[in-house]
Amino acid sequence: MTEPFLSIRKLRKAFGAFTAVHDVTLDIPKGEFLTFLGPSGSGKSTTLYAIAGFQDPTSGDVLLQGKSLLSVPSHKRNIGMVFQRYTLFPHLSVAENVAFPLRVRRRPDAEVKRKVADMLALVRLESFAERLPGALSGGQQQRVALARALAYDPPILLMDEPLSALDKKLREEIQTEIRRIHRETGVTILYVTHDQEEALHLSDRIALFRDGRIEQIGTGEDLYLRPATDFVAGFIGNSNFLAAEHLETVNGAATVRLGDGSLISGINANGSFQRGQKARLMIRPEAFRLDQGSTGAELAVEIVDVAFYGERRRIVARTGAGQEIDIRPTSATLATQDVETRHRPVFFDPGAAFLFPA
Amino acid sequence: MLLDYDRLGWLKVVLLAFTAMVAAFLLLPVVFIVLLSFGSSRWLAFPPPGWTLKWYQELFADPSWIEAALTSARIATMTAILAVAIGLLASFALVRGTFRGREILRGLLLTPMVLPVVVFAIAIYAFFLRMGLGGTTLGFVIAHTVLALPFAIIPIATALEGFDKSIEDAAIVCGASPLQAKLRITLPSIRIGIFSAAIFSFLASWDEVVVAIFMASPTLQTLPVKIWGSLRSDLTPVIAAASSLLVALTLALMVVTALLRRKLQT
Repeated sequence: MTEPFLSIRKLRKAFGAFTAVHDVTLDIPKGEFLTFLGPSGSGKSTTLYAIAGFQDPTSGDVLLQGKSLLSVPSHKRNIGMVFQRYTLFPHLSVAENVAFPLRVRRRPDAEVKRKVADMLALVRLESFAERLPGALSGGQQQRVALARALAYDPPILLMDEPLSALDKKLREEIQTEIRRIHRETGVTILYVTHDQEEALHLSDRIALFRDGRIEQIGTGEDLYLRPATDFVAGFIGNSNFLAAEHLETVNGAATVRLGDGSLISGINANGSFQRGQKARLMIRPEAFRLDQGSTGAELAVEIVDVAFYGERRRIVARTGAGQEIDIRPTSATLATQDVETRHRPVFFDPGAAFLFPA
Repeated sequence: MLLDYDRLGWLKVVLLAFTAMVAAFLLLPVVFIVLLSFGSSRWLAFPPPGWTLKWYQELFADPSWIEAALTSARIATMTAILAVAIGLLASFALVRGTFRGREILRGLLLTPMVLPVVVFAIAIYAFFLRMGLGGTTLGFVIAHTVLALPFAIIPIATALEGFDKSIEDAAIVCGASPLQAKLRITLPSIRIGIFSAAIFSFLASWDEVVVAIFMASPTLQTLPVKIWGSLRSDLTPVIAAASSLLVALTLALMVVTALLRRKLQT
């Protein structure tokens, strides 16, 4: 196997009695866009700061192309970073901000000038070169920060929730920019966010953090369609969790009994279950079918509320066991009369449902 | 708001009158001094019987006045430089430091502002006499630096608190050493605070009289000491002229500060 580009080895960071990062191990190939996703306090930022050199890990190692970074001070790691807060140098113009890393590297003037022009073109802010940061919007400031972080062609770009201070529309716009820039430059990006949509939109792979550990790592599809734990299923996308009792598992396909007594077979079982063990059955809201002639497992519900959300409808239904579930069929596949009957069955593919320990 | 000026009604008049009285009380003596310095009366009579510039001529003709002014300027400049340098380092420790006793250190550094000046003057006089620093420029500068330090630390520490450390971190990730990042990014970003610190420390020394009286020797006098001494020996309008110049320079410095702050903030 070829050596990974960036390698995090059993990284641990403790603050007194509190351990923020528990032995995180991770290999990142060159050019990958990897996102650290997780709730706040899950250790994703601490891991990023250890790579940047602002946090000394308690133990473990960070290797770039086989060489340890830990003994290298931050300013010599040659890493690019975009911060959560606006960090442009307030007294320098946009062009001088982008030029700063090149100036401290004592690059010749002609090269600095050329590179600054290239970078401002990359983030499409050529006409703002002479402005001071204070005269820029938040989105523009983060784009300049991105240009500054890429000006010296760093092998790795770290981004610590760079869009969290921006409004939703601007955020989506800059996400598209970031994707384009990743495509055009081929830089390896480690991106921290607590926003699952942002992670799904941007990343090649997502490492989902929980309590200082990586809960699951994989592509967005892996995490969404094949969640390893109920935490992953609950964090990525919307999920319904139904209380269930495990009966038997044959070749990874489980049979359970739901609260209303109905039996469902062919469910993906995560882990091994005892007969009679309490479990949680996870079904995505959009996995339910309501149209006539649907096949698959059946669930008897009472429709409580139907709302129209444009491309989707959102239905609140109550199971026979009294549990409320969220159903989101596409509007196109659902005729109005389908939801007129209050008591009716809904259908789902048991292969797209997952069983987790309760 | 409860105390909105626009909604005060008849109380507005009371407030205005009171404010005017306070302003007059503060400013009138200064105005009188300036007027007297241009008055022709030898005995500082008011209103002056006529107007003249001769007290200013006398002032500039007397080398001891010039020398006192130059001494004041020299000591105040050195004090400002020293107070800003120490204040800058102290501010980093007070704002960024996480050591034990940080709040005690902050209190200690700011005590010269609340300690009665006479107490400080007597203490430092006794101490410097023993050290052989009495009546020396160095002694003056050290004593004034201690007094000026709070005026340097407060604006610099305030500016540093308002400066996001992430910006300095960003400079470091960009490849600047921690020292380079501070010199090229942090200091220019808090320059308004540093500038205010320099002006305030300069003024703290420039118009300081109590400690100066203790520190002065017949050969080393600052302007306020010279004014005070002359006031006791012979009451001449030259003192009014000297005082007016003192006030003028102070005012000029305050105006320059205000203008520069406005320019730096935009």
